[in-house]
Amino acid sequence: MAIENEHVTADVIEVNEFPHLAQRYAIRGVPKTVINESVEFVGSVPERDFLAHIQRAASPSGS
Amino acid sequence: MGFLSADNQNEIKHLFEGLAGEVQLIYFTQKESPLFIPGHECETCKDTRTLLEEVAGLSDKIKLEVHDFVAETEAAREHGIDRIPAFVMTAEGVKGKVRYFGMPSGYEFSVLVGSLLDVSLGKTDLSESSVETLRTLDKDLHIQVFVTPT
Repeated sequence: MAIENEHVTADVIEVNEFPHLAQRYAIRGVPKTVINESVEFVGSVPERDFLAHIQRAASPSGS
Repeated sequence: MGFLSADNQNEIKHLFEGLAGEVQLIYFTQKESPLFIPGHECETCKDTRTLLEEVAGLSDKIKLEVHDFVAETEAAREHGIDRIPAFVMTAEGVKGKVRYFGMPSGYEFSVLVGSLLDVSLGKTDLSESSVETLRTLDKDLHIQVFVTPT
């Protein structure tokens, strides 16, 4: 998604190496995805659902 | 000692034949120091560098650039790097930022290889409707995916 859009920054974070982030984002299961600090979900989801999460985060009330 | 066996290397070389163009692999690390400073250690920086050097050595199209996170604050700021080890993967046609924090070992190694291939193409295998929806976004989005190597 970051490849396709200039507004997107996509990070993969190895959580064991950054325990402060594990704590900050309450990581109990992986993969956990956090979008703009406002939308989060655990597990892999189909592309359509992922996009719905993106749209939710991008909506005016999203963050 | 390296991380990739001869078999691994051959397999990856074969995959890298799919690299469409040059990919910049911009790595942020710290200078190796004989001194141990609590709070400033980076346990996987050296191993991550070795792994990335091995990977970059498997294709002429992968250009590895190594930056000192502490000394080269300008480069770190440009890519928004606030912790190490970290690397950015970019190529012509890539519009946003693709970054990885930590060492891509275990299952995550395939994320590294897959991302390099996607980045080199400057496009993804997302459906046309998804690409269209993404095109309408005009708000900055920061997607963080937290993973473990196993």
